[in-house]
Amino acid sequence: MAPPRGSAAYKKKDGTLALSKDGQSVSWTPVAPPGSKPALTLPLPIITNLQQTPASNPKVMLKIFAQAPGTSTPETHVFSFTSATAARAEADALKDALSKSIQTAKSGSALPGTPSGAGASSAAMAIASAVSSGRNAKGESDAWYDDSKLKQDVELQKSLLMANPSLSKTFMESLRTKPESISSSQFTSQFWSSRVHLLRAHAIEKNQTRGAYNVLSSIKPTTVDNEIKLSISKEQIQLIFNQHPLINRVYDENVPKLNEKDFWARFFQSRLFKKLKGERITDADPTDNILDKYLQYDDDTERAKRLMAAHVPHIIDVEGNEENHSQRKGNQPDLTMRPTSIDRVPIIRTLNALSEKILSHVAPNDVDPSLPIGVDEETFNELVLRDLQGDPEENRVILNIKDQSRFFNSDKESGLSADAILYAQQDPAKVLQSVQADLARVSSSTNLSTAIGVDSDSDSSDDDTSNPKKPHVGSKSSLSAATSQMLSLISAQRAQHDDLTISSSSFSTSQSSSTSGLSPLIFERLSLTHATTTEFLQHFWSAFLSGDATRAAEVSKLIETLSRAMDRIKAVAADAEAERNKEVEERRKKVQEFYDRTGKKRKVDYESIKGGAGAVNGLLAPTVRAIGVAKKEYERALREQGGDVNGV
Amino acid sequence: MNAVDGSDHYTKTSDEPPPSLLTIILDTNPHAWALLSPTLPLSAAIANLLVFVNAHLAFNNANRVAIIASHTQRAEFLYPLPAQETSSHTNGSAPQNGFDNDVEMADDGEPTVPPLSDDANHYRPFRLIQTTLLTALTTLLKTTPPSSLTPTTSIAGALTLALTYINKTTLSLSTTTSSTAPNADTTLAAETAPPALNPRILILSVSGDLAHQYIPIMNTIFACQRLSIPIDIAKIAGDTVFLQQASDATRGTYIKLDHPRGLLQYLMMGFLPDQTNRKYLVPPTAVGVDFRAACFCHRKVVDVGFVCSICLSIFCSPPEGAICLTCGTHLQLGEYGGKPVVVARKKKKRKNVEDGKGKDAT
Repeated sequence: MAPPRGSAAYKKKDGTLALSKDGQSVSWTPVAPPGSKPALTLPLPIITNLQQTPASNPKVMLKIFAQAPGTSTPETHVFSFTSATAARAEADALKDALSKSIQTAKSGSALPGTPSGAGASSAAMAIASAVSSGRNAKGESDAWYDDSKLKQDVELQKSLLMANPSLSKTFMESLRTKPESISSSQFTSQFWSSRVHLLRAHAIEKNQTRGAYNVLSSIKPTTVDNEIKLSISKEQIQLIFNQHPLINRVYDENVPKLNEKDFWARFFQSRLFKKLKGERITDADPTDNILDKYLQYDDDTERAKRLMAAHVPHIIDVEGNEENHSQRKGNQPDLTMRPTSIDRVPIIRTLNALSEKILSHVAPNDVDPSLPIGVDEETFNELVLRDLQGDPEENRVILNIKDQSRFFNSDKESGLSADAILYAQQDPAKVLQSVQADLARVSSSTNLSTAIGVDSDSDSSDDDTSNPKKPHVGSKSSLSAATSQMLSLISAQRAQHDDLTISSSSFSTSQSSSTSGLSPLIFERLSLTHATTTEFLQHFWSAFLSGDATRAAEVSKLIETLSRAMDRIKAVAADAEAERNKEVEERRKKVQEFYDRTGKKRKVDYESIKGGAGAVNGLLAPTVRAIGVAKKEYERALREQGGDVNGV
Repeated sequence: MNAVDGSDHYTKTSDEPPPSLLTIILDTNPHAWALLSPTLPLSAAIANLLVFVNAHLAFNNANRVAIIASHTQRAEFLYPLPAQETSSHTNGSAPQNGFDNDVEMADDGEPTVPPLSDDANHYRPFRLIQTTLLTALTTLLKTTPPSSLTPTTSIAGALTLALTYINKTTLSLSTTTSSTAPNADTTLAAETAPPALNPRILILSVSGDLAHQYIPIMNTIFACQRLSIPIDIAKIAGDTVFLQQASDATRGTYIKLDHPRGLLQYLMMGFLPDQTNRKYLVPPTAVGVDFRAACFCHRKVVDVGFVCSICLSIFCSPPEGAICLTCGTHLQLGEYGGKPVVVARKKKKRKNVEDGKGKDAT
């Protein structure tokens, strides 16, 4: 396809604006001297921005922002398209092509494309991808912290909804039941504005990629139709070249002669492959005349090079102290530790070297990045006597609390509490006297068993009827009343903790206790209704309290939705009640059968069958209360504002 | 010997649960007790408390107890009494006193424990506690002038005393069980080894009006939270205020006594189990916790209000000039005060709004 071009005027001179053949630059050639060279050439990398006049504008202009490296301000070039008939089309074509090329240049590709490009242009590619990924990473990390970007990122939201089924259910359900006056986009933005942290976490999670791994050991041939097939992805090839630069060398030297497919086929069957994987080379392996030359390649020189790179501070340099090498003479080291027997157990060496290489690219975990990089700091920290340093200073922020007395003399401002009023009616001296006299009744020789007033022989019934008004301290009635209060507290606590512990407890025989007697279906509906109602309540409050007059209609529609939510809750309660009635019926029938069979009557406690409207109402009581509060506030505001209450 | 001996000592640590230290804070506001005397006189309450203490000590030989009185203007230890300041060590510096080396008796202000007469029918440790507690309490009340009575009680001071006592006891117990190793090691060993002591605090509260001690009490609550010391509260009478939050934050038990005459039953059933046993029992603590805070300007209890983002102080309405009352920062308000129908006058933007009540109770 011919590179797009169009006749455009630049700086009041007619000419042609065209994209170059290789797509790497845009040039403008003036028309006046025919056949002249382009007067203005803009290479793509320096173009930062493109602007075009909208389609409604009769004038068609294209503005290109270019910032040459080394200059701090971008310069603009304005081209107005002069073609009589196809100005708009030309401009559009140019703009599309330009923006596409700029896009590809900016994003760069993570993979090298084809291995053939890997050799020569790997250096250039690496730099380009590093720059672009650097820019990308910065742009992305900005996006993570920019709330508005997260809220607009529809893709991210969709993937989060797919990953989190309960969230998607809530979203769909609320979307389905929302009032018509609220547009979908409004609703969506409201929905996500309270869940920005979820979006952020999801974005960061998605951005994590798998780290480098030992690629050679993961490549295994599959047998299909008696043929051995092997498939490698581009990413794996890239990793192979990274981890074994030897293969890179081999490839570069041999591929122009050999076909690429043949090269890889031979490689994976050769001894070289086995050696790099670390497996032992037996005599049964096929020999390969080209690849076996590289078997002699000594890995040691490379490792020595790496060691020289990592400077070991003298203070902890163990190898520097070679004279103390006890294994020189005497005990021969273990089979795996002997320096000459690489060929026997090559896998250990290979794996270790490979892991070291992979890890050297990963950011170190135990190094504090805020410390300066110099080695002296590290060794100094290792040498320093930590015990003598004293306590680390605490990071405390001083709050300037003005006028602390505010906190201490509030009694006078707020008025006296009921207790204080009662106390004020008492005479302090008399009070003290009475208390002291009371205390004198208990002395160190008091027999406690009589002092506590517990009479183990008394009949409980006597206490109740004989002296109902004033049981003494420690009487049976008071003790039993105390016991019953405690037991009710305990059972209330137990009911609270049931759903938490019941799933893990081995004593749960029926699942109904965790859902308080409701069937799973009803429970699901209930939780869904609750989630959507909470969502609408949130929406209502944010609209109501915002003071925005434009959202007034929204608020009124939300009130309608809330009443519909109430109806939904009632519907669920009715269903639950029907279910419970069914259960009661069944029990009744069973009892009847039992009676018919054996003639014995069995008492059934119908109250103990849990579930039904009672459970639903109990579970959702706070939500119902919240809806009531919202309605009340709204009606109150409505009355104050002079509007009439429409029976909402 | 241990310092020279280089071999490792594997001290056998016992598998039994550690003993527990029960610290009781007794609210001794005379006004409140006088009001309560028709239902539960102080003497009866003390007797019940002593039975409870005896039960706690009977559980385990190594269990300990401490009783602190939270009086109107001060807090004092009732048991164990602080050691008497004897003047024997000053005699060395004044040899001209001659042979007057007698230990001077402490003056009247200090509670002196009378010598313990042996009663064959009374277990000695129980008897000791009974005597000390009653003597100290009597002295405390005797030395209270009528002018010092207030409607409140110094719970914050008592809590601090309790915490210091717990700290002292824990330290003394942990150093006796570990070997003589350098300082850094003992703290490390103390952190990783099982605790030598299970401390807990029980507050018997009869009065309210603690709003002006809000900050100190919250500080002690956070300290107990860090040290995992449960604070149990038996509310016999008086306003709740935020003692519920104390027990909730430290995973203690809060019981409002509906029948004060059955005090012993409440104590024995609800507050006797120690920390190890509580893992297996359902605590009879009150179900709903009143988390509402008091606003800093009027001490009104609020559930929807404004929060300063710097110092987290709560206000019921935006302060004038949008200046926070405690830290003095000038704050921006978010939108608030919208009316639905008519065009609303745009108020200052509000800072933040706490969530409405009821929605977080499920």
